[in-house]
Amino acid sequence: MTLIATRPGPGAARPYRFPQVVRRAVAGGQVVAAHLPGQNLAVALLLLDAGAGREPVGKEGLGGVLAKALEEGTAQRDGTAYALAIEALGTELVTGLDWDSFQVSVQVPVDRLSAAVELLTEAVRTPRLDPADVLRVRDDEATALRMDWANPGPRADAVLRADLFGAENRWGRPMHGDPQSVAALDVDDVTVFHSEWFIRPGTLIVAGDLDRLDLAALGAAAFAGTGGGPVDKGGPIDVPLPGRRKVVLVDRPGSVQSTLRLGHPAPHRAHPDYVPMTLAGTVLGGAFTSRLNHLIREVHGYTYGIRGDFAASRRFGRFAISSGVQTAVTALALVEAVGEVSRTQLTGVTEEELAVARSWRAGQLSVELQTPRAIASALTTLVVHDLPDDYHARLRESLLGADVEQVSAAAADHLHPESLTLVVEGDSAVIRDELVAAGLGDVVDHTP
Amino acid sequence: MPDSGYPWPIETARLDNGLRVVVSEDRTAPAVAVNLWYDVGSRHEPEGQTGFAHLFEHLMFEGSVNVAKTEHMKFIQGSGGSLNATTNPDRTNYFETVPAEHLELALWLEADRMGGLVPALTQETLDNQRDVVKNERRQRYENVPYGDAWLRLLPLLYPPGHPYHHATIGSMADLNAAALATFQDFHATYYAPNNAVLTVVGDADPAEVFALAEKYFAAIPARDGIPAAPDGRTVPATGRPAAETVTADVPAPRVYVAHRTHPYGTTGYDVTTVLATVLGTGRGSRLYQRLADGERIAQPDLVGAYGVDLAHGPAPLIATATARPGVSAERLRAGLTDVVDELATVPVTAAELDRAKALLSTQWWRHMSTVDGRADVLGRYATQFGDPAKIGERLPAWLAVTAEQIAEQAAELLGAADRVTLTYLPEEKP
Repeated sequence: MTLIATRPGPGAARPYRFPQVVRRAVAGGQVVAAHLPGQNLAVALLLLDAGAGREPVGKEGLGGVLAKALEEGTAQRDGTAYALAIEALGTELVTGLDWDSFQVSVQVPVDRLSAAVELLTEAVRTPRLDPADVLRVRDDEATALRMDWANPGPRADAVLRADLFGAENRWGRPMHGDPQSVAALDVDDVTVFHSEWFIRPGTLIVAGDLDRLDLAALGAAAFAGTGGGPVDKGGPIDVPLPGRRKVVLVDRPGSVQSTLRLGHPAPHRAHPDYVPMTLAGTVLGGAFTSRLNHLIREVHGYTYGIRGDFAASRRFGRFAISSGVQTAVTALALVEAVGEVSRTQLTGVTEEELAVARSWRAGQLSVELQTPRAIASALTTLVVHDLPDDYHARLRESLLGADVEQVSAAAADHLHPESLTLVVEGDSAVIRDELVAAGLGDVVDHTP
Repeated sequence: MPDSGYPWPIETARLDNGLRVVVSEDRTAPAVAVNLWYDVGSRHEPEGQTGFAHLFEHLMFEGSVNVAKTEHMKFIQGSGGSLNATTNPDRTNYFETVPAEHLELALWLEADRMGGLVPALTQETLDNQRDVVKNERRQRYENVPYGDAWLRLLPLLYPPGHPYHHATIGSMADLNAAALATFQDFHATYYAPNNAVLTVVGDADPAEVFALAEKYFAAIPARDGIPAAPDGRTVPATGRPAAETVTADVPAPRVYVAHRTHPYGTTGYDVTTVLATVLGTGRGSRLYQRLADGERIAQPDLVGAYGVDLAHGPAPLIATATARPGVSAERLRAGLTDVVDELATVPVTAAELDRAKALLSTQWWRHMSTVDGRADVLGRYATQFGDPAKIGERLPAWLAVTAEQIAEQAAELLGAADRVTLTYLPEEKP
């Protein structure tokens, strides 16, 4: 048998194109659409300036409760009738929330999009919000969070966030709230949040075959009866870096793995270093081939996987690493991970690594942006961050154009190994002494 | 009703060594999906070697004769592509989606590890990936509440000796005992071109793909006498229900009710698919309406039902609910089994059926909306049913299911005597 030994080079590069973007002002709101000719499915997504950042401190999880309460009946029909109506179209109402926005969407065969947008609008603009239903939904959400928080991860995430951003700030508390914050919400919290943020028009995102869709009619349906203009979104928040590294231990007795969350504050989304920073994060921890995964998984076998990246919203950002490692190697894995962050910060990236990172990030734009939902998500990025129609094409060019000097400089400027907070959720009785002995920083026990 | 669930062209070829090649051209996006289905899964594993098919899948990323360790990932990611692989009881699949100009790279990498893995396989690599898989087992099954439900359901559903009796992740003891020679044999036995299907979907010309397949794969010899997995098509009914109760560190009581149905790809399993959607998908489903909304004994986000699409034996139908605070496991179990029982006695209405079919149609087209989604299903149909074009029949078959068929299947297969029940109870906290 003779296998071909030589790696083939690439064929002729195909031109990259993001779908044609159409923007329309309709009935007091904005419609932003992408044309996907021939696509059978279409997505409509209503984007509201009602993200977690709009929730008052102490009311974390409000948006999540409201999202569920929207489906408990509308001015026109009860919850069961609503569920049957929307599911008869082949879709469910999908809600999502991040720091910057609240999103509610439907995905249906293209000829049903108009009917689906009418039902979406009915729930968002005219929910019944019967007090008994709101309280039941609140209790269910608190229970759901309690279930989720029984898994490893959410507690560690919350401890890291509080340490990075300060628990006195909304952005220092969990994006989706915690079981206690949700349980403490009352009916007025929900109805007031709705009237404050869910009656403004917002933006309707549409991804589908525009030859078979009437954007003006979709927009008119989505924005009917809305009022109130945009509200100032606030500028970037100055988050100080911790003066010294520390370890925070979250006890999880009997755990067979230690859940690791390492992080420090980082720049917001509109920072001019966004692209080189993303690439530095990719080389360090953003891909399977990255330094961290190679070292901790492929060389040492300590974990099933480890990732690290920069993430940013409009007002703030963070660098973070997450993993689950076998209990017995907790301290070893931490030492190696911190060492890799330091090495990357000090010595930057190599051309070989960067070549993989930049073509991976650029290529992902062709590979990942296939479905109507993925395109709709890309359009929300344009809207939330005030980016131009050709943003994705330009992003591709900037990724491919970034050189070793720029990316190494971003690593030097934006990685801070001495300011890392290392949160470890694991069996304290087994790992505590080793963590102290590892000398990575003061070991603090988290007290709930 | 649509004539076909697959309105794209399909072309096929077979190399002299038995490798089947399936191409479905679609120039919409400048990307191409490459997918290999190997007809080997955990159903082929003998006693004492559980978890080997999956551990082997990991070894396929660790280098081959012309590809150094770590290069596989580096080359695909360095071309802008995404990649992964999965193992289940039925089969092992490997797939990458790359910008179209890197099609040849993907084929070269797949051919090298099909034809040239064994000489590159070392003890060090095996030891490392064994540790990774053991960590995968801890992370996904052992360290999360209810994480071992699937591991517990399988032996309750399928008797010892049945190919689905054990879970794909395997046991720690078997993984610890895994020897290098076993894996070398495993590759030689099952990773043969005549045991695989290569599917390419997207921005590529079929004639070009067939020529490239010939160029890279033709040198790999066919293998005679690939051993079959044990026959699992029939599972003798025991005539009595199986039940297990687990007390563990879980936040609330949870109940799973499971039944053996029909193999994926049969009319019977099409009925199961629609039945499961009526029963447990969405807020309009019977389980949601009765347990989450009506009696309000189940947590709304954690109630549902689904079939597991296995093709070499009667596939499982699983319904599950988790108790709201203050609701006992007994009450939840009674509520859950009542709703399942009623599928045989309370006819499914036209509105329920239409709702289920509308949801399934969207689900189907969502799956078909990516080149990688299409490539995997084409590979499945070529591997399991001998003809990728049969993919077009599935959606129409779902849409043809009647309420009578659902009631008949419920009466025939979902009775109490054939029922598997798994209950989780929270530990008493001091």
